[in-house]
Order: sequence, then C-alpha cells, then structure tokens
Amino acid sequence: MVREAAIAVIESALAALEAERQYVNDLNVYPVPDGDTGTNLALTVRAVIDELEQSDVRDIPSVAAAVTKGSLMGARGNSGVILSQIVRGVCEVWGEAASLDTAVFKRALAEGQAAAYRAVREPVEGTMLSVIREMAAAAQAVPDSAGLEHLLTAIEAAGTVAVEKTMSQLPVLEKAGVVDAGGYGLLVLFRGLAAGIEELLRGGLGAAARLVSAAAPAELSRFRYCTSFLLRGEGIDAAALTEFLSGLGDSALVVGDERTVKVHVHVNDPGVVLSEAIRHGSLDAVEINDMHAQTRERDARLGAPRPQAGGAVVVAVVAGEGNKRLFRELGCHAVVDGGQSMNPSAAQILAAVEGLDSEEVVVLPNNGNVILTAEQAAGMCARHVAVVPTRSIPAGLAAMVAFDPALDAVANAEAMEAAVAGVHDAEVTRAVRDSELDGVTVREGQVMALVDGRLVAASDDLREAFAAVLRAFSEGGAELVTVLTALNGSGATREELAELAARVAPDLEVTFHEGGQPLYPILASAE
Amino acid sequence: MTASLSLDNTAIVLDSTCDPPDGFFDRPGMHMIPLRVHFGDETFRDGVDLTYQEFFARLGRSPVLPTTSQPTVTEFSELYSRLREQYAHVFSLHISGEMSGTVRAARQAAEAIDNVHVYDLRTVTTALALGGERLRARLAEGCTLDQAKAYVEHYRDHSQLLIHAATLEYLRRGGRIGRAAAYVGGVFDIKPLIDCQDGVLGGYAKVRGLKKALAAMERFIEERTRPDDDLYFCTIDAVNDEEPPLIRELIERLRPRARFVFHGHVAAVVGTHIGPGAAAFAMIAE
Repeated sequence: MVREAAIAVIESALAALEAERQYVNDLNVYPVPDGDTGTNLALTVRAVIDELEQSDVRDIPSVAAAVTKGSLMGARGNSGVILSQIVRGVCEVWGEAASLDTAVFKRALAEGQAAAYRAVREPVEGTMLSVIREMAAAAQAVPDSAGLEHLLTAIEAAGTVAVEKTMSQLPVLEKAGVVDAGGYGLLVLFRGLAAGIEELLRGGLGAAARLVSAAAPAELSRFRYCTSFLLRGEGIDAAALTEFLSGLGDSALVVGDERTVKVHVHVNDPGVVLSEAIRHGSLDAVEINDMHAQTRERDARLGAPRPQAGGAVVVAVVAGEGNKRLFRELGCHAVVDGGQSMNPSAAQILAAVEGLDSEEVVVLPNNGNVILTAEQAAGMCARHVAVVPTRSIPAGLAAMVAFDPALDAVANAEAMEAAVAGVHDAEVTRAVRDSELDGVTVREGQVMALVDGRLVAASDDLREAFAAVLRAFSEGGAELVTVLTALNGSGATREELAELAARVAPDLEVTFHEGGQPLYPILASAE
Repeated sequence: MTASLSLDNTAIVLDSTCDPPDGFFDRPGMHMIPLRVHFGDETFRDGVDLTYQEFFARLGRSPVLPTTSQPTVTEFSELYSRLREQYAHVFSLHISGEMSGTVRAARQAAEAIDNVHVYDLRTVTTALALGGERLRARLAEGCTLDQAKAYVEHYRDHSQLLIHAATLEYLRRGGRIGRAAAYVGGVFDIKPLIDCQDGVLGGYAKVRGLKKALAAMERFIEERTRPDDDLYFCTIDAVNDEEPPLIRELIERLRPRARFVFHGHVAAVVGTHIGPGAAAFAMIAE
C-alpha cells in the first residue's frame, strides 16, 4: 500500500502543478520559444508516477528507490534536473529511515537541498535553489516534537516568501516584474504534495486508494508508443483533447494555452492521436518512442557508424532532419531528438548512450537547457561518458568537426571544448511575447536576432534580422559563418540570404546548410 | 673533390605522379615514366595521352571512377637502357612504395643495369618534382656521385608535403590513405589538410574555410621549418586557381629566405586519388 499512497501524494503534487502550469510557463521572461519550465517539471513528475505504476515495489526503501529512478530518468530541462536531484536527496533519507515523521522529513529536505546544490556548478540566487534552501532552513527550525502538518505549513510559508524574493534577486526578473518560474513551480509542487500528505493523514489509506483510482490506472501501462508533439492552432480545447486521449491510452498530458499545446500520451496507435490533433491545428516536434526499448536500441546500433576499438562514440541531442544528417555525416553515432521546445529526458539520453556498443561516449547536449540533463544521464551510466557543454546546434557541429574516433571520450571532449571555445552563435526566431530585452523592444510575432544569447535586432523582416547577425559576427572578427536554415514559411529564400551575406559582410565566408529545425528559421555560428 | 656528375652525363627520371609544371620534362636529361589511368576499358598514359585539363574534364563527366596502374618492369628496363646509352648515370626518383608499386618495378629493372640509382622518395605529387628539380640544380653546378646521393637522401628524409584536399572520398575509395582514414572530407565544408610522413598520407588537420586552412598551414610551416632555413618550395593545384598564390604569399611572409621554385598542376593519377579542388605545397630546407 506504500506504493499506492506514494502515487496518490505525487498525483496530488502533479495535479497542483497542472492547474498552474500555464502560469508557470508564462513566467518565462524571455521572448524566445523555449522548453517551458511548467511543462518540464510536469513531465518529470509524470515520469515518477509512470515508474511507480510500472514497478512492483511494496516497502518504503524500494518505493523511495523507484521514485528516485523515475525522477532522475524523467528529468527534462534544467528545472527538471534540479527537481530530480531534490527528489533523490529526499528519497535517500526517507528510504533509509523507512518511516515518515517530522524528524525524518526535516533531514530529507536538508539532503534534497544539498543534492540540488551539488548538481549545479554555479548556483545562482533567485532560482529554484534559493527556494529549496529557504524551505529546508525553515524546516530545521521546527522542533522534532511538532506534528508533520505543522512542519509542512512552516515549509510552505518559507517557500512562499522565498519565491517572492526571487524577483529582487535576479535583475532580469525584477525588470519583467515576475518571480522565478522554477522556484514557483517547486512551491506549487510542494503545496500539492503537502495537501496529499495531509489528506493521507486525515483519511488513511482508503482515501489514498480513492485518489489513485480517480487519477490514473494503477496497473502497468498496456500501451506501446510514447507519443508527444507540439500542436499549434486557434482556440485549442485542452480539456477536450485530454478527454479524447484518455480514451485511447494512458499518461495523457496536454499543457499549454489555446494557441500552443504540448501533448504527451501512451497509446498503441499514434496515428489516431495525430489524425485527431491535426483537426485542431498544425503539428511540430512529433516524437514517437517505442517503449519496448530493445527495438529502439537495435535500430540505433544498425544505423550508426561502428565505433573503433578503444575510441569514443558520440551521442548528440539534435532537432531538425537536416541537422541530424549533418551530425551523422560527421560521424555522430546516435541522435536524440529534441532541443528547443522539447527537452529530452535523462532517460532518453541514457538509452541512446547504452544503445551503443562502446565504453567511451561523448554527449553533445546542443542546448543550454539540456546540459544538466545530459550530465545527469552521464552520472547514471557506468561507462566513461564525457559531456561537452555545447549550447547550440551550430556549436555542436563545430565540436563534431574536432571529433576523432580513434581517441577516448576524455581526449575528444578536450579537443571538442577547445574547438567550441571560439565559436559564437546566433539564432533568428519569432518573439512569442512582447518584451524588452537588452535595450531592444520586441513585439510578439516580430523576428528577433540573438547573438550569443543577446538580442541585437527585432524586425518584421527576417532578412533584416539576418543582416544584423552578420554585422555582429563581422564586427566580432569572425571569418567563417555557418548558417543552418529552416526557411519554410519564413518568406525568405536561401538565395536571398546568400546575396544578402555577400552584400552585408563580403569579408565573411558564409556557408548554408538545410537544418530543418523547428521554431528557428536560422541558426548560425561564427568562428 | 672532383665534380664528376653534370647535366651532360646524368639523367633524372621521375614518374608521372610528380605532377610536373608545364615544360618540366622538355629539358634535356629530364624524363618521365607514365603511370596508367583507366576509365572503364579506356587506358591513358598519365601526362602523355591525357593532359590535366582533359583529365579533370573527363573525371567530371565519367560515370565510373578511374583506376590507376603502375608502369611495368619492361617499360623501366627499356627507358633505363636507352638513357644509359647516352648518360653515365640515371637517378630514378619515385612515389612512396607505401602508395604505389612503381618503385619496386623500377628497382627490379635497375638490378640488371648498372649506375641506375633508384630512390623511393617516400612522398608524392609536387614533392617528387621539387626533389627532381633540386637534384637537377646540383647537377647543373656539378657534384660528385656521393654528393648527389647524399642530397637525394636528405631530400627523402626532410622534404615536407601538405595537401589541402577538397575531399577524401577518392583517397578513401582508392585505399591510399593511412592515418587519415578516420577523417571526414567534403562533409559540412570540411577540407582536410593531409601531410605525408614515413611515406604515408595522414590527417594533419580538419578545417573549414580557406582562412582556417591558411592558419593551419602557417602552423605546419612553423612546426616543420626554422626561420633561417634556406627553404625551397613549390605549389600545385587541381582545378583551384585561388589558393596557390595565397600559399606562396604565406610562405614568403613567414620565411623571407624561402625561394619559390615552380607551380604545377595535379595530373591524372594523383587527381584520381585527391579529386578536383585540391591545392598543395612541398618544401625542403637545404
């Protein structure tokens, strides 16, 4: 019954987050379409429930182990990784104590905080980290003799204050007048968790069992394909879609607003899901994974170049068919689909690493929001895995150019980091909200040009944004510019961009490749 | 010490993989033995039946990749016998035995004929031509047999070659590449720099873009030569007009004492293996 109780409590946390996930997503202060914090946290928690539902654990130590495993494997995005580390720390203490009272909960939270800080190289105040730290500190001030409900209230109160404080801790939050999305998401999860525990304490296990049957099927998932995608349209009815999906499979999750939703569901026929979805809008970032992992692993082995004895193989996180082809041609052995807007889980990266027949593995996350996830996957793997912290697809390609299949993971990682060190990158995309950033005012729908993460121009014309990128590169002393295009529907052609490059920056060598990445008509790098 | 060797009594033989500049073999005492290029059933003598212009035009429209083959022992024997009627000595300088069996055929032929000095120069393309040219300079001044031999050995052990290949596809298909086997060329605008060590071509650097290539060449020159070296160098191209003048400027800037000897063109056999778009240079410190 421990398992059922744990599922009930975590379902309660997830329900609280799902009720506020759009608000959490909207706290994203950047106008860049990115992996949304609310979605990443929700998918991470969903993975914990999936793991519990699929495992046959009965006692507290094994339930705690399953919760840890589910969260570490399911972690998506930086917020998901930090959450999973908190969960791991908490579960270590809970699993060892094999009971839950005020003293145990206090120690568990302290360990959760410590684990989270260990996971981040340079902890920043005004994020999830400061929130968990203040929650843990408040817990320590409550005497062991106090009841659990009293403790939960004290922690929640401290969390609320800490979240409000984030606004003044980070200048970018202060300017936008919002609190940190990850910190707020964590607080919302805790509130849901506390409500679940309190309900459990009041109603005993009977109530927990009711919660379980109302929320999700408790038996093992009967469905084969994990299906996820982005749906864009007008007036999307998330509730109706959820109802439709629930009739087809399980683990249905529809998050977003009426114009863009992210959909996740386990079904036996993904085609039916996609057919229904296109009636509501257009699809993007479709990902269908066979949960019978052996099939996928075999495919990965057959499709990839064979590793050299003692030499390293490369796993890269890449979005866009053209980009994936470039990585493969450069000798990358396995590609994990994802990046902007759909951050892969640690489990997906781990599966790709373990699907390859080599002890030496280099992982290229190719996105700032995937680096921690990749490091988490590396930490869970017994092989020699080196993560080169590439922040963009063009940077990842520059790293691939330095790849030498005769060298081991560490030697390759060193060479790749050196190759990436001098690379600047740029992205051109449409603003998803009005904003003012780096002194530039952007209206929703305008084309933005960002160079090394800094907004350099906003325009209604893609060509003008591209010209701004080229000028910034040229002023920065660049020689070689690589442009990855996905121009469908952007109103510009590659020929126009090439002519523009010859005119605006005649001193640069500019090469174009069809990248096919979602959301970003242009990704570019300069060396 | 008496100068017993001169241009009048000594002939130089190079095989056609030396990719000579125009007019190189029109001079007395300079002889070329051609390798063969086969396009399907058609066979051409490299540099004799097929100029480099004709070769690359044909390579562009040929549905099959050409293959190459070495000269026969008989061809070498006939050439050596004929030359020895006119010359007291023959220096026969050849493509690395790691890349072609040409030098083995030459040695076999030379066994039966005295004063034919066969050398495996452990290199290929324009580095062979530069070696022949610099030996010729010794002969023009007059030198002893030992001095001529010592020079060829010095050249064999110290000459440098760097090829900026457009692609490794041809080298890979032909099995002519050693350490560079793992290098990708052609993909993602990568043009590899290939050097030659111990008679084998290998990857020196993987670069994208001409400026980065020139930067890597600069590093190569700094590593392999000294500022006060008496450097002789030559350049070569395979359908690439842009790069050789830049290479020449680079070398002359880095090594003010360097002397430019000639510019050549990649002919059919080497062209078959490195493909169009390549440029290269060879150099020797004397």
